[in-house]
Amino acid sequence: MSSSVTPARSRVPRLAEAAVARARLTVVPRHTNRATRVPFLALVSLLLVGGIAGLLLFNTSLQQASFTATALEQRANLLDAKAQALQMQLARLQAPQRLAERAKHLGMVPPSNPAFLRLSDGAVLGKPQPAGTTEDFRITPPPVGKPADLRPAPIVVTVPPSTSQAADTAVGSPDVHASAGRKKADQHQTQNTQPQGSAH
Amino acid sequence: MRRRRRSLRSLRGASLLRLRIGFLIIAMVVSVFAVRLFELQGIDAKAYAARAQAEGLVHITLPATRGTITDRNGVPLAESVSGEMVVADPTLTAKHAPAIATILAHRLHLDYFDMLERLQAPNTQFQYLARRVPAADARAVVKAVDAQGYAGVTTRRDPIRDYPAHDVAANLVGFMNDQNQPGDGEELVFDNWLTGKNGRATYTESGGNRIPLGDNSVIPPKPGRDLSLTIDRDVQWYTQRALADAVRGSNADSGSAVVMDTHTGQLLALADYPTYDPNDFTAANPDNLGSRAVRDVYEPGSVEKVLTTSALIDAGKVTPRTKIVVPPFVRSSDRIIHDDVAHDTWHLTLTGVLAKSSNIGTVLADRQFKPKQLYGYLRKFGLGEPTNLGINGESAGVLPNWRGWRQINQDNIAFGQGVAVTAVQMAAAVNTIANGGVYVSPSIVKGRAVTSDGRVVGSVTQSRHRVISAKAAKEEAKMMVAVTGDGGTGPMAAIPGYLVAGKTGTAERVNQQCHCYDGTHTVSFIGFAPADKPRFLVYVVVQHPRNGGFGGNTAGPVFRRVMTYLLQKYGVPPTGARPPKTPLEW
Repeated sequence: MSSSVTPARSRVPRLAEAAVARARLTVVPRHTNRATRVPFLALVSLLLVGGIAGLLLFNTSLQQASFTATALEQRANLLDAKAQALQMQLARLQAPQRLAERAKHLGMVPPSNPAFLRLSDGAVLGKPQPAGTTEDFRITPPPVGKPADLRPAPIVVTVPPSTSQAADTAVGSPDVHASAGRKKADQHQTQNTQPQGSAH
Repeated sequence: MRRRRRSLRSLRGASLLRLRIGFLIIAMVVSVFAVRLFELQGIDAKAYAARAQAEGLVHITLPATRGTITDRNGVPLAESVSGEMVVADPTLTAKHAPAIATILAHRLHLDYFDMLERLQAPNTQFQYLARRVPAADARAVVKAVDAQGYAGVTTRRDPIRDYPAHDVAANLVGFMNDQNQPGDGEELVFDNWLTGKNGRATYTESGGNRIPLGDNSVIPPKPGRDLSLTIDRDVQWYTQRALADAVRGSNADSGSAVVMDTHTGQLLALADYPTYDPNDFTAANPDNLGSRAVRDVYEPGSVEKVLTTSALIDAGKVTPRTKIVVPPFVRSSDRIIHDDVAHDTWHLTLTGVLAKSSNIGTVLADRQFKPKQLYGYLRKFGLGEPTNLGINGESAGVLPNWRGWRQINQDNIAFGQGVAVTAVQMAAAVNTIANGGVYVSPSIVKGRAVTSDGRVVGSVTQSRHRVISAKAAKEEAKMMVAVTGDGGTGPMAAIPGYLVAGKTGTAERVNQQCHCYDGTHTVSFIGFAPADKPRFLVYVVVQHPRNGGFGGNTAGPVFRRVMTYLLQKYGVPPTGARPPKTPLEW
């Protein structure tokens, strides 16, 4: 068994020997590229540096834009708030109550009778009447009375009737003081009974 | 030598032991680190990642603007303005309180001493200084305080709901309370409609600036929808002032006035007095919130005779010239019905009955109706059911079912007692006459809007139906002109040059405590002009006047003022028609 294997083994290399020797590969002579690498390296570094610089610039400009956006947004908010406040002020100035009070202050009154002038033939429709104060009415709420704490109780001074008229003329007579005092007290009383109490 | 060797060996053994112990300790420490690493990376990783991301991440709510409530011409009655509250940290402000208070008092017109007290409040780091300040003013004042070098005054968002016309239509519009929740009126009814949807913004921030290319997402807010009312602000103002003058002048409890566009049924004004200023709702009497004109029911009195007589004419039972003998009194069930003024037997036409507002004449004419007929007409006139205006707290009124009527019930209802209405119901009912016999349901919302409880209301959803014939309506209108003419009860409501159809009303009031008539009255006037071509209907009701006034002289002048204003403002010239010459007596 071993004898049959061994010759076969030794036969194969022998057979291929020549072919192998013939077909032995040799290294291809090195082809040296004499072209310089500088432009390529330069290009690559340029791209690299340019890219980084570009990115940096882009980022910076984005940041800058963000700052501007924030500032503008704040300004817009402020202006918006201002506009709203002004709008609110305008609406309050346009309120009918204010206009009516100003008109009244100028002496204007509501018309008593609606009347119209027809432009086509100049006819007067309705019964025109001069505006008077008859149609005028109070448009403001009545003044609020003072609270009770601020209204002292009226001081009533009862004075016995004077016995002689002549005494009244005397300077420094107690009657003169008394009647003046009563008058004052009366005045006080009437003022207090008024709901407004605005006389004070 | 041997000893040395031995000691060397023991030394080596000892160092080996130390080494082993050292390794063990290192192993233990490393395993602790490993466990911690596993914990950080494996178990809690997500939470930490989120925390890392949240660092510098800002979440803000973008508030949605609440819709504006406007009148029919787009004039705002309630609008939202961005506002801020000015708050102080007294621990920082106490030292410089006088200087800061001076700035605040000057800039925001606040009370100096009040400010001083708040800036020095002990044991707190939070004090309100001012609320609902327009944002521009609030920021300006904080800037001024900062510029002086004082710290501790800041602002926070606090939206303002402004009511530029103050008390004008306050009873309808309602108010927003200090929690920014709707308090009453349309603000409450249409809250869902007016409220928008808040938006959200998320972005990474650094030093107050957004980081570009960082996380950035914005969900824009959805502003609320506007609500347009059919009210004309100027008419509303004028009506409110004229009504207020009459209520104060007669020393009455309260009053309501309704102004209606005859053809469209839209309410141009719905005034109530007393009322309040929604900018200062805390000062309001709770009774004055809401609208009396749709909330309060009362017995309409003689104004109802318009409905009764027009129904009788429509049914062909009477004509304006029907002759009626009016005795001094008439028996009804176990009661006796009188007229307002004592009189001998009158010989009146139906026109005369209406012009002189005779209860007896109306009752006698009405007895030609069966209860069911009168009830049917009154229901068609809209009595006993709410008008679905879209105002909260609307009452349906009371119209008892005809099956339970006795003679006295029908007789009473014929002249407006024993039946209860709201002012808007009554206005809409009489408007049927002005509108040629067709009932138009009244509306207060222009266009279409949905209430928070899902009802669709507005001028586009209103209904119409014929109640009486156009001829009957015309004849009734002519009869109503006699009321403002010579011999009528309402000459003070007449407008020279115009034909004014009207009806006075003086009704006894039911006391809510004793459920009896307590001697107080409801006086009213309803009318429309021009009578032969109606444009507007005005209804004025005054509750419990204490000057002995009645419908003609208390509510009549208010009617005349408001109607005069309307005719002039909307440019309605007189039609030039002559007053009808139907005799009042025979």
